[in-house]
Amino acid sequence: MSYQLIKAGINLYAIFKNLEDLIALDEESRNLIKGKKISIQFLVKNGPKAWLQFENETCKVGQGIMHNPSVKLWFKSPEHLNKMFDGEANPIPLKGFTKLGFLQKEFVKITEKLEYYLKPEKLENPSKEYIEINTRFTLTVAAFALPEIVKYNREAKLSASHIPDGKIQLWVLPNDPAVFLTVKNGEISAQKGTTEKPDAIMEMKDYQTANNFLNGKSNPFLAIAIGDVIIRGQTNMLDSLSLILDKVQNYV
Amino acid sequence: MKTYTYKKSQELFKKAAEVIPCGIYGHFSPAPLIPVTDYPFYIDKAKGSRFWDVDGNEFIDYMCAYGPMVLGYNNPLIDAAAEEQRKKVNCGTAPARVMVDLAQEMVNTVDIADWAFFAKNGADMTTFSLMVARAHTGRNKIIRLKGGYHGTAPWMQSPDHHGITFNDNKDIVMGEWNNYEALEKYIHEHKGEVAGIISTPYHHPTFADNELPAKGYWKKVEALCKNEGVVLIIDAVRTGFRLDYGGSNEYFDFKPDLIAFCKAIANGYPISSLVGTNEMMNAASNVFHTGSYWYSAEPMAAALATIRELKRVNAVEKMFETGTKLGNGLIELAKDHGYNMKMSGHPAMPYFRITDDPSLMLHQKWCGECTKRGAYFTSHHNWFMSAAHTDEDIAETLKIADEGFKAIKE
Ligand SMILES: Cc1ncc(COP(=O)(O)O)c(C=O)c1O
Repeated sequence: MSYQLIKAGINLYAIFKNLEDLIALDEESRNLIKGKKISIQFLVKNGPKAWLQFENETCKVGQGIMHNPSVKLWFKSPEHLNKMFDGEANPIPLKGFTKLGFLQKEFVKITEKLEYYLKPEKLENPSKEYIEINTRFTLTVAAFALPEIVKYNREAKLSASHIPDGKIQLWVLPNDPAVFLTVKNGEISAQKGTTEKPDAIMEMKDYQTANNFLNGKSNPFLAIAIGDVIIRGQTNMLDSLSLILDKVQNYV
Repeated sequence: MKTYTYKKSQELFKKAAEVIPCGIYGHFSPAPLIPVTDYPFYIDKAKGSRFWDVDGNEFIDYMCAYGPMVLGYNNPLIDAAAEEQRKKVNCGTAPARVMVDLAQEMVNTVDIADWAFFAKNGADMTTFSLMVARAHTGRNKIIRLKGGYHGTAPWMQSPDHHGITFNDNKDIVMGEWNNYEALEKYIHEHKGEVAGIISTPYHHPTFADNELPAKGYWKKVEALCKNEGVVLIIDAVRTGFRLDYGGSNEYFDFKPDLIAFCKAIANGYPISSLVGTNEMMNAASNVFHTGSYWYSAEPMAAALATIRELKRVNAVEKMFETGTKLGNGLIELAKDHGYNMKMSGHPAMPYFRITDDPSLMLHQKWCGECTKRGAYFTSHHNWFMSAAHTDEDIAETLKIADEGFKAIKE
């Protein structure tokens, strides 16, 4: 069941990663956590583990186990977690029964807003601000999805093994948002922001270009040839990377 | 110095993208030309060592059509030989006499060749070589080396590429350049399973310094293959007739069983060839492999004339010389500007890299600056010299390169 496992990893590590920016950028979401200090641990049996922390009107998302969370949610399988993300299942709370109100009200609203920003196809005429946020989120999802796909997809693992060790910077011009990937021995890790001295750079001309490119709506070779996407450095790293990027849409 | 712009190239590309997948696909794809805005996309005409793009910009060409051009574009002698044959027959219902003459010429020229087989592209012949090796040995496995390029047939590509499956690679085993021990270990552990090893005579990957064989490497591989009944296949599609008339293996002093030729064989006319030893001839006869245009006679006449002309004008020696002059000049110039330029591979197909920036970004910038001043340099691939490149070309190129170095400092 590598599909469910990859999807669960992407849901927890890539989709949820956007909660950090959602709280920072979206006032409505920020208001929902005003004065609240809540941390939630997600535990998936034979699957990914992640935590969210809402505090001082910010959100932090991390991988692994956190110390003493206020809420612990358990899932009996990756599939169970994925069903929750699709609104078809509920988690099994292990701890924090007094906070269930937050989970059922505010947290639901926050995740709905997250989904709103991730699904531009539902909007007729998205605003510039909307596209900006959507692009930022799409970039984060793509970057943080890569390690999960590489871990469990045979072809992606092979592609990653062809990428020489080093750092790849992806960004949307003029200079934001940005993510970078660190490749070491065929494993990929993702971070938001910029890195000094990347080995390869992929710049997307603007939000719309980035959107089309990251959502697989444009051909990478074509986008590069017409200058919509600018690549530099050890671009052979990008050849294999793009093969993995192409797979992201199978899971989100 | 004037710098070029590429308005018409870019317009044409946009049109192309509507009716051709990718606009320009494969090895001509603009994607590795960095920065892409410094490069022309479409060629209008060519002569000798130069070409003109659709915007009218003139370039001294250091890619030589990625290898096929070896005696100069539109070489009158080769074109005349081709034209003479074309007037008689090109694509007919039976082979033309020239096919036999060309096979004889290949056999006379290439040391190990007892026979020659003809097709169109390099990959036709590298694929054929596998079939011959398998037919000869009755075994399945083929060893190829990481970073080696043999064309685009599914067996030559990694199974993570679009359209390729793990099944396509079922009997392909990956080895490593200059790693004799690994080869030996694998073959000994899989006795009687390996049909052949396919490799270029030296390692010329993209995006990396090119590597010559380590001392004794090929002799050991040759002996291993002989002892284990493994067919040794040399892919000389890129190196053929640039390193040595007798086969690029001769340059490194070893004897394979099969050699695939393509690019430089006919100065741009479409033809490729597999040559082999007597021992391989029966297998080559038994394998069924053909194509609609493989018997077309015009490229055969061009190939015959090209091989003769290469020898007559001492093309191999000349390319070595001009390649060395270019390399020395660029290394010197780089030093004057405070950079370190590394030249690797063979002087007729040199790979250059400014080592001061391992990310290649500086090198890419310099290649782009030189290209838009008239010296067509790529940053990801080895370059190609031709017998048509003159000392004047080199001198002019070095002037451009000097400007290129000034430009990257700004
Ligand atoms: C070493 C080598 N082998 C094989 C090929 C494949 O030749 P073709 O593209 O004509 O099929 C090439 C092409 O660049 C090559 O460089």
